[in-house]
Amino acid sequence: MLSLSSLISKASSLIDPNMLPPSLLNQVNGSSNDGQTPGFLFRSNFRLPDSENPLAVIPCELSLPTGEHYFGRLHLSESFLCFSSSAPSSAAGTSSATTSTAGPSSCGFSLPLVAIRRVERLHSRSYLFALAVTTWHNDQKLTLQFNSLRSTCEKFCEALKKNLRSQMSEMKNLRMLVGSCYSEWLVSGGKIREGMKEEPDAGLGMVWRYPGDAKKLRDKSKMRLWAEYLRENGRNITLIRQPTFHKLIRVGLPNRLRGEIWELTSGSLYRRLYNPTLYTDTLTEFSGRHSLSIDEIEKDLNRSLPEYPGFQSEEGIGRLRRVLSAYSWKNPDVGYCQAMNIVVAALLIYMSETQAFFLLSTLCDRLVPGYYSQTMYGTLLDQRVFESLVEKTMPILWEHLVKSDVQLSVVSLPWFLSLFINSMPLVFAFRVLDVFFLEGPKVLFQVGLAILRINGEELLDVTDDGAFISILKNYFLRLDESAHPRSDNEKLRAVTRFQELMVVAFREFSGITEQTILDQRLRHKDSVLSSIESFAKRTTLRNLGPESKRLLTADLGYIYDRFYKVLYERQERLLAIEAEKERINEKKVVSSGRSISEKSINEKGRIGLGPSSQLMDYDYFREFLAGIAKWAIADSPSSLFSPGFEPTFGRKKSILLSPWGDNAEPADHEFMQRLFRRWDTDYRSGLSLQDVVAGLAGIKGKKDIMESISYFFELYDDDGDGKVDREGILRISEALLFITRRGWETPPGIGAQDPKSPEGGKGNTDPFLGSVSGFIRRCFEYADPDQEGKQEEIATGVEGMDELVDLLDLASDDDDDEDDDDEESVKSPVNEKGPANDISSGKGKEKPDLAINTGNRRPSAMSANAALDPANPLHITLPTFRMIVLADEVLEYFFESGFAESIVLSTDVPRTPGGRSISGPSAFGNFGNGNIAGAKGLRGVLDNIVNDGMRVAQEVRRRMDEAQKEMERNAVPGKYKDDDEEEGDAKSIMEQDRDLLKGAEAAVVDEAAKLAKPDPAAADEDEGSGSTSDHRGENLLTISPSKANAEPMTPGGISPRVEFDIKTPRDF
Amino acid sequence: MSEGGPKPSSSVKLVLLGEAAVGKSSLVLRFVNDDFQENKEPTIGAAFLTQKCNLPNRTIKFEIWDTAGQERFASLAPMYYRNAQSALVVYDLTKASSLTKAKHWVAELQRQASPGIVIALVGNKLDLTTQSTGLEGSMGGLSLSAAANSGADGDDDEEEEDARQVTTAEAKGYAEEEGLLFYETSAKTGHNVSEVFTAIANAIPESTLKTRGGPGTGRGGAGGSSGDTFGGTGGVNLSAAGETNKDACAC
Ligand SMILES: Nc1nc2c(ncn2[C@@H]2O[C@H](COP(=O)(O)OP(=O)(O)OP(=O)(O)O)[C@@H](O)[C@H]2O)c(=O)[nH]1
Ligand SMILES: [Mg+2]
Repeated sequence: MLSLSSLISKASSLIDPNMLPPSLLNQVNGSSNDGQTPGFLFRSNFRLPDSENPLAVIPCELSLPTGEHYFGRLHLSESFLCFSSSAPSSAAGTSSATTSTAGPSSCGFSLPLVAIRRVERLHSRSYLFALAVTTWHNDQKLTLQFNSLRSTCEKFCEALKKNLRSQMSEMKNLRMLVGSCYSEWLVSGGKIREGMKEEPDAGLGMVWRYPGDAKKLRDKSKMRLWAEYLRENGRNITLIRQPTFHKLIRVGLPNRLRGEIWELTSGSLYRRLYNPTLYTDTLTEFSGRHSLSIDEIEKDLNRSLPEYPGFQSEEGIGRLRRVLSAYSWKNPDVGYCQAMNIVVAALLIYMSETQAFFLLSTLCDRLVPGYYSQTMYGTLLDQRVFESLVEKTMPILWEHLVKSDVQLSVVSLPWFLSLFINSMPLVFAFRVLDVFFLEGPKVLFQVGLAILRINGEELLDVTDDGAFISILKNYFLRLDESAHPRSDNEKLRAVTRFQELMVVAFREFSGITEQTILDQRLRHKDSVLSSIESFAKRTTLRNLGPESKRLLTADLGYIYDRFYKVLYERQERLLAIEAEKERINEKKVVSSGRSISEKSINEKGRIGLGPSSQLMDYDYFREFLAGIAKWAIADSPSSLFSPGFEPTFGRKKSILLSPWGDNAEPADHEFMQRLFRRWDTDYRSGLSLQDVVAGLAGIKGKKDIMESISYFFELYDDDGDGKVDREGILRISEALLFITRRGWETPPGIGAQDPKSPEGGKGNTDPFLGSVSGFIRRCFEYADPDQEGKQEEIATGVEGMDELVDLLDLASDDDDDEDDDDEESVKSPVNEKGPANDISSGKGKEKPDLAINTGNRRPSAMSANAALDPANPLHITLPTFRMIVLADEVLEYFFESGFAESIVLSTDVPRTPGGRSISGPSAFGNFGNGNIAGAKGLRGVLDNIVNDGMRVAQEVRRRMDEAQKEMERNAVPGKYKDDDEEEGDAKSIMEQDRDLLKGAEAAVVDEAAKLAKPDPAAADEDEGSGSTSDHRGENLLTISPSKANAEPMTPGGISPRVEFDIKTPRDF
Repeated sequence: MSEGGPKPSSSVKLVLLGEAAVGKSSLVLRFVNDDFQENKEPTIGAAFLTQKCNLPNRTIKFEIWDTAGQERFASLAPMYYRNAQSALVVYDLTKASSLTKAKHWVAELQRQASPGIVIALVGNKLDLTTQSTGLEGSMGGLSLSAAANSGADGDDDEEEEDARQVTTAEAKGYAEEEGLLFYETSAKTGHNVSEVFTAIANAIPESTLKTRGGPGTGRGGAGGSSGDTFGGTGGVNLSAAGETNKDACAC
């Protein structure tokens, strides 16, 4: 499945932007250029689906029901209304697109238009425009006061009104989604609400416990705080992110709400909103189907968090299986990658299958792009980025690592790939994930850097990989211990090493922003991809199978390059054509663009990004051949446009829209179809690189003329019985003429150079015609009669014969316009027996010539020649064929080397010195054009053969489908009730709950808020606005990491592990 | 064990390669901890472990790099086999395709890894094949895998299907051709596991051994090339050190 936006973006580079409607233009601009465009940044900042584009923006003041006011910008997209308070940093107001909504100090929302119940225009004196927005959770009313020219405001409102109307139809989806949200249950105090049948699914943890000690994690307190926040600020789709929201997340999410908040902060919630049945539909559609990914998934199901009880049960395993399989079907480019099993297993502890499915797709597309792809380029790229960040921020440590030859990525790669789930004890890994989903991939880098910084001194003593790894392993094991065990300050002693890690990550490395990561990725992308590509090429070439040994290494490399070039170029071209068609058909691109997978323009077309698993179908094959053999190029290009594609009247026909791009249009000859089928050894109607290499090895790698003759013969021995019938003989002749129609190399002294040949001196004739003519004659001469002829065969044989005769006629007749010399030269070899023909026995002489140059003489000639009599079916065998070929020195030379040389690979010298070459279409030019051959009965025969192949493929598929087994779905076992549930009213906050938000991690949020220079207009709201950046709030624990490092870090005993710790590294 | 003996001790870098789930991590776990886990998590990226191996005249400290087996992780492998002095290429005796993959790895190592690398070809999961069930008296009988059980359920033992898909002769023949050490093992029962490592330890030429201590210990025998490949590009450089060596020699 291709996302529409990717189609559009592909087209964008090819289509003149001035010709596009504005809505489409946005799409185009929105998704190209490595994600640095406004469209991309807009979607990524507000976590919106790929279908959304920034359509309008207006400065505005937001007033919340809770009394807060924020200045910022209001954005409108197709189906969202988004707000972000002004970027507090220097560049505020200048660039809307870079405003980060995830910043801890900011306020914002991404409100699906469908979640807006009412919009009222308020009359206000101070502002031109003010709107009151009532959201789905109608207890809240937002006031939006626009701050712009009246006309701008009006325009914005018009657009809003229009988009609101178009979203009405989504109402059903909204109800479904809200009904499945745990926040609804929480806010209602555990009562069944509208559209809610039971307590929403909050993951396997509801049954098999959540990791960690709920009491120690203060889960109840967190729940109460969240209940309050959600009541006041909206929930799920209507939630407004205030600084408290960030704080609540920094201190760790409560178990049952964790899944939903992850969904919300990552934006996967919106994907689910608009694709409510995608997950179940996918499962149904692919139920029981098999693929490599499915096998790989199956292998790992029992190997995913195996110590968590939920994954020792069929229910847990079943959920994991379904989510991974569904994703592998939906995104076959990624399929399944080890580490996904661990990530998804972790997600499933906190969320339902459907939620996990969409979160996984958000992960793969947006948060950790390319991590799990075929080549894992994203993983490698981010490792490179990480290394460069280490070098920049910790130059001494970096230098030491380089000097001691320690490879950083050896330790850090698993951190990133499994999002720390495999490295840290689970409870802590989930805390990292909480922030990761809120703030994006930079969090992985920040935490990674903090780990190195905290352990910096110890790491400086390390001289090899082993010691390096073991220090970090030990560090992870002791994350729950006090960071300052010897401190006199009780508060300081209470700070755990994990808390210290979070503070260092987000304070020390606050300079690592989303933009840093984007820039760094862009900087290293090319070199990472290139090294992946050279590795892939090297390995592929080495493993191409025994056939490939017959070709030179340089040729293999050449074939490899060409194969992928054709594949990628053509893919892109076809997509562009698709997109153009789409545009012309005036489909509503904008609203239909909802797909779950995001692929930007650069995400395809390079091996490094994922070798295409696509096979070369016949058209790709033609294009490929045309690049290496000139006979495979069509003589007269057919219609510029592919069938069914109607160019708009009056539009300039663009060469880009040719399915062949800038390349010459390939021919379509029966011979090429035969080659294709021969090379397609697995009957897949497509060629892999291996097929192509083996196929070319079959032609280029033959060192022996006998082999080469057999190869050709076998191409025409359809049923493999060692016989080629009348029709086959004619087709061989056709093919010989086809391949040589543009001339070919003959060494001096062969064929036309023969002095006896009447046109020997002219040099513009094709000696081949004579040879082929002789070939046909001898074939029929020496053919053996069939034992029993079949009527059908006779019929086609005749048709075939007729056609060949026509073709030969045509060759001469068509050239009437040309000068007589040409005509003469064409006819003569047919009429006159060339000297080579005299080799044949006397029997041949007695017979009349093959009088195939005039239609009139044909019937008599046929009746005179028994061999041509359709009533006498006949065939030749390989020995006969061989003999006939060897009897003609032109043919002999052709099979000796001419045929192989007609395909030019890297090592071939294009022209043999001294060789004679006839270039340009010969008199027989039209012969090669498939249009003629395809016009009549021969094509019908061929089609049958092709159809047979397809029938076989279909039958195989059908049988495989029958062998399907139903996916098991076990009933959900009884739910687990938390032992330590306090009897507390979720609605009332206890005072002690509050102090949660005063902890160090939450304080980082405060600090960030203070650091952020408030918008001048909003200055009066912030009492602390005068505080400078180095003045840290009193409620902050002053933990300076350098100080922490100075203290001895080894406490005596290891405190008992209360956390549910699955991923303890145990090797040390 | 014997602290008294002034036996020379040296470290050897060893890398494990092979298709997913053939039992690489299990072999290491058996060798290092003498333990076995029925559901071992897939290795993400790579794992690093060490274990000593006592030979009569010296002690070898193995620095073991256990890699991930899935095909797409292959491009990470050069990072791990860089400078390795020895390799364990593992396949699953009950899965023919895994031997093909093993052969690919052998070819890759021979072309790209340090010259003179000692390679052992190891067919694992011997306990699942019929010949072995009787032999491994103590442990083999206790926890037969599901596959073996279902086979045993069949009435006549004659028909019990052997899960083995790769014959000893085939693999051994290949190993001899390529000059590899060859063993059939079971990480589950422990059969032949320490033997493999001992054989490798013995096969490492004394000349390439470096005694412990000092920076650059882990660098192994491929002297001279160290800084260049690492340099600015760091660990994500996919070209193995050996490649650079070869290029350098060719000039
Ligand atoms: N019966 C049997 N099972 C084994 C043996 N060795 C490993 N296994 C099982 O095979 C599965 C895979 O083992 P791992 O050691 O994780 O395989 P691996 O090669 O490290 O796999 P990756 O890390 O994915 O490349 C586990 O379920 C093991 O329990 C063996 O000798 N006999
Ligand atoms: Mg493993």
